[in-house]
Amino acid sequence: MTRRSRAISRRTVLKGLLGGSVVTIALPTLDLFVNGNGTAFADGAAFPRRFGLWFWGNGVQPSRWVPEATGADWELTEQLTPLQAVRDRISIVSGLRVHAGNDRAHESGPAGFLTGAPLKIEGERETIQLPTLDQVLALELGGETRFRSLELGVAPFTEGRCFNGADSRVPVESSPHAAFERIFGAGFTAPGEDPTPDPTVALRRSVLDAVSEDARGLMSRVGAGDRVRLEQHFDAIRELELRLARLQDDPPSLAACALPAEPAEEYPDVQGRPPLTERNAAMTEVLAMALACDQTRVFSYWFSDPLSNHLYPGAEAGHHKLTHDEPGDQPQVNTIVQYIMDNLRVTIERLSAIPEGDGTLLDNSLVLATTDVSHGQRHSLDEYPVVLAGTACGRLQQGIHHRSSSSENTSKLALTILQAMGVQRDSFGMEEGESTEPLSGLEAT
Amino acid sequence: MFVTGGWTGLRGWSAAVIALSALVSCGPGVGFDAGDAPVELQSEPRPGTLRRLTTAQYHNVLRDVFGEELVLPTRLEPDVASEGLLALGAARSSVSPRGVEQYEEAASQVAVQLTEPGPLRDRLLSCEPGAACARETLARIGRLLWRRPLSAGELGAVDGIAQQASEALSDFHLGLRYGLSALLQSPHFLFRVELGEPDPDDEGQLRYTDWEMASRLSFLLWNSGPDGTLLDAAERGELVTDAGLTTTLDRMLASERLEQGLVSFFDDMLDLAALETLTKDPTIFIQADPQVGPSAREETHRVLIHHLLTQDGDYRDLMTTPVTFLDRKLAAIYAVPAPAREGFGEHAWADDSPRMGLLGHASILASNAHPTSSSATLRGKFIRERLLCAAVPAPPVDVNTALPEPSGNTRTLRERVDEHLENESCATCHAFLDPIGLSLEKFDGLGGYRELDNGAPIDASGELDGVAFDDARGLGRALREHPRLPACLIETLYAYATGHAPGAAEVPLLEALQARFVADGHRVRGLLRQLVLSPGFRRAAAPADGEGAP
Repeated sequence: MTRRSRAISRRTVLKGLLGGSVVTIALPTLDLFVNGNGTAFADGAAFPRRFGLWFWGNGVQPSRWVPEATGADWELTEQLTPLQAVRDRISIVSGLRVHAGNDRAHESGPAGFLTGAPLKIEGERETIQLPTLDQVLALELGGETRFRSLELGVAPFTEGRCFNGADSRVPVESSPHAAFERIFGAGFTAPGEDPTPDPTVALRRSVLDAVSEDARGLMSRVGAGDRVRLEQHFDAIRELELRLARLQDDPPSLAACALPAEPAEEYPDVQGRPPLTERNAAMTEVLAMALACDQTRVFSYWFSDPLSNHLYPGAEAGHHKLTHDEPGDQPQVNTIVQYIMDNLRVTIERLSAIPEGDGTLLDNSLVLATTDVSHGQRHSLDEYPVVLAGTACGRLQQGIHHRSSSSENTSKLALTILQAMGVQRDSFGMEEGESTEPLSGLEAT
Repeated sequence: MFVTGGWTGLRGWSAAVIALSALVSCGPGVGFDAGDAPVELQSEPRPGTLRRLTTAQYHNVLRDVFGEELVLPTRLEPDVASEGLLALGAARSSVSPRGVEQYEEAASQVAVQLTEPGPLRDRLLSCEPGAACARETLARIGRLLWRRPLSAGELGAVDGIAQQASEALSDFHLGLRYGLSALLQSPHFLFRVELGEPDPDDEGQLRYTDWEMASRLSFLLWNSGPDGTLLDAAERGELVTDAGLTTTLDRMLASERLEQGLVSFFDDMLDLAALETLTKDPTIFIQADPQVGPSAREETHRVLIHHLLTQDGDYRDLMTTPVTFLDRKLAAIYAVPAPAREGFGEHAWADDSPRMGLLGHASILASNAHPTSSSATLRGKFIRERLLCAAVPAPPVDVNTALPEPSGNTRTLRERVDEHLENESCATCHAFLDPIGLSLEKFDGLGGYRELDNGAPIDASGELDGVAFDDARGLGRALREHPRLPACLIETLYAYATGHAPGAAEVPLLEALQARFVADGHRVRGLLRQLVLSPGFRRAAAPADGEGAP
């Protein structure tokens, strides 16, 4: 795929124009540097293409979720109604099934969809076997940005299910303030500012260099399992070294980049209920600016974890407990699913409010919203809930309902996503979860 | 059929242990001195594995090495449980990119504090600023942090960083920061590296080295790194000899620091750390507030220390002891007068109190319940999995799991969960869990006592593997006599101490440990002693893939 070269940043051009003298000129807008079609930078490089996973726990009620008509003329169902304002920015994909087995309620779904492989279960021990989709993409797309990927959480104490490999969890930051500090605190340079020269960066790098040598030295002494763990540690150290090396680069010059408002330090529970709407708004703002400022091109966003049992406003029990214990047609569960979809709308709207060239940041992104089970009450994995938002730079359609009539494998969709993101892969997953062909019918024509 | 070992590969050995403990089921005071005869049985050694320091260990080490004044970094790579234990997760997880970032930030925070003028710096430095001082300091601190002396090359590398930084920043103390930071970010600090060496007395076999034994002892017994005394014993070659190890071990078992080690183990075994994030609906539980979880955890810690260490009591009596320790918060939840104006005071439950033993603690009752209600299933599962090490099958997938709503006929939870027991796909598991948990139904979701559920009287009768009882006290007594109770402690402690779940080859060792534990009156200090002296703790094996040294 084409990548915008940092060597030809806006300020470099300006410096050249001004005869090489070091002058800082903050320009608020970039229109001058966008090509005539508004689809790329003036130097011909494309806008960054981003991928995000937006995840919530405990599934849906399929009878209130799946739209009836397919194609462009579908109508929002009860549980999709909160997405009304972004109806034309999203596509619903229905009828898929996780083929990679259903052995552990709430865990087999995310494992099967995001890795394409069954959970590995040995006695009491269970782990995923392959890296999750977001991490596969982080490896492919994350090389140029300050963060290879960002993992953010909305509900308190969210763990997420992102893995680099077996037993290697990528932790989630669920404090908006801590996420803000991490991304926009020390080390962040806003467009138009010069990076602050910092003599300690070189020293930090030499520390990391020594530390990575320690990890490498240990590798030769340990068994195969530990060697994998040390390699992961080693790679992670290298990644931080690279990030430090880039600190002195010019910041990416994107017009919409701005420092977001600093979130509150704490979002205390109200009557035992986490203020999820407020937390979501704050975290979405951090996410939106992290993307607008090209700090990362891959994110996963965990509104809530699989199996999460938070109390929602007005609910008489935790979410997970309600999905099993609420009698009848489960009005409280229905309300919670709608509440979550309303929060999804907030994220999508925010990303589509960021202009980028002639379009929006969302146009240059692909967001996959999904969950851990289909019907929460039954732990089913057929009729898997999927919302796609954005078009991956025009590669995928939006505003449609695409239905698989043959319970196709969710791995087909994962492969479609990889390919739309410009990753050349011809299969996704393993064993019964593997697919070697993408889902057809989603590409833009 | 469910009463089997929870650990992979262990099914089957428990039957033998049950038979064994039935034969040797003598209470305390049998008069066997567990002291001097270590368990002799050979067992198949297992390869050493890297273990990442848990957050608690990371904190304990820094506090012990540098001093109480140090403000500890809080944002670290999260601990991960595997097979229910953080100790096993630590032996399997790696460091993520985010974790590297956090360890770097943490190292920097610590190094800055250590090199700013003040008591921390005064304690750190015992020499006049200069190149030799940096080298001496890094060598001394490196030995404590890496739990062994640094090689000349390793010291040269960190010292070189400090020198380079001192020159670049024209400041000795600022330069030293980078050397300290390198020590703190190294995998030699973040991971416990215990791989073994050829045993000179036993050809072809591996034993853990002196330095590795120092780490194994200190993390097991203190949940922290070895101190100078322990490292000196290692340096003198004492920890690989029977006599030297015994002397050091007895010193450590007698030390107050054993309390920290014991509590850390039970935190892991009983999942007590979950109490730090306990959430309850305060509109239903009026006593609920953020202090409940930490207070409840402290109650359990104090009972464990009092009963198992101070009293050197029988482990099984934890299930029935009337003694506990309460602060005002817990006293309010339990509806008794606070035994102390401030902090915790001792309280003894009366003989006719519905509450006694570990299962009367809010820690267990509240963390194994829902935010708005109790849960017979979660409590039954806790007892099966955590106290008896039974494998509880995963809940079914793709079946309807709905419980009926309370109605005129089914008001109590017992009446409602009868559905679980009548529906065949549910009954297999729930019959294994609910009858235990239902006997705790007179304790609500926060651990307070109640007689009614939705206005209907609660029937707290239950049954545990053929033993029927009328109430929670009866459950406590039944658990005390359950043959899996001691066996499960031993299995869990073994996994915690070694970083791997015991396999079939270790069954003879576990059985021998159990026989000794039973004969010794189920004393946990004695069990720790036997475990450390056993080959399971001292012998290593080469990695299974045949690669790697030595």
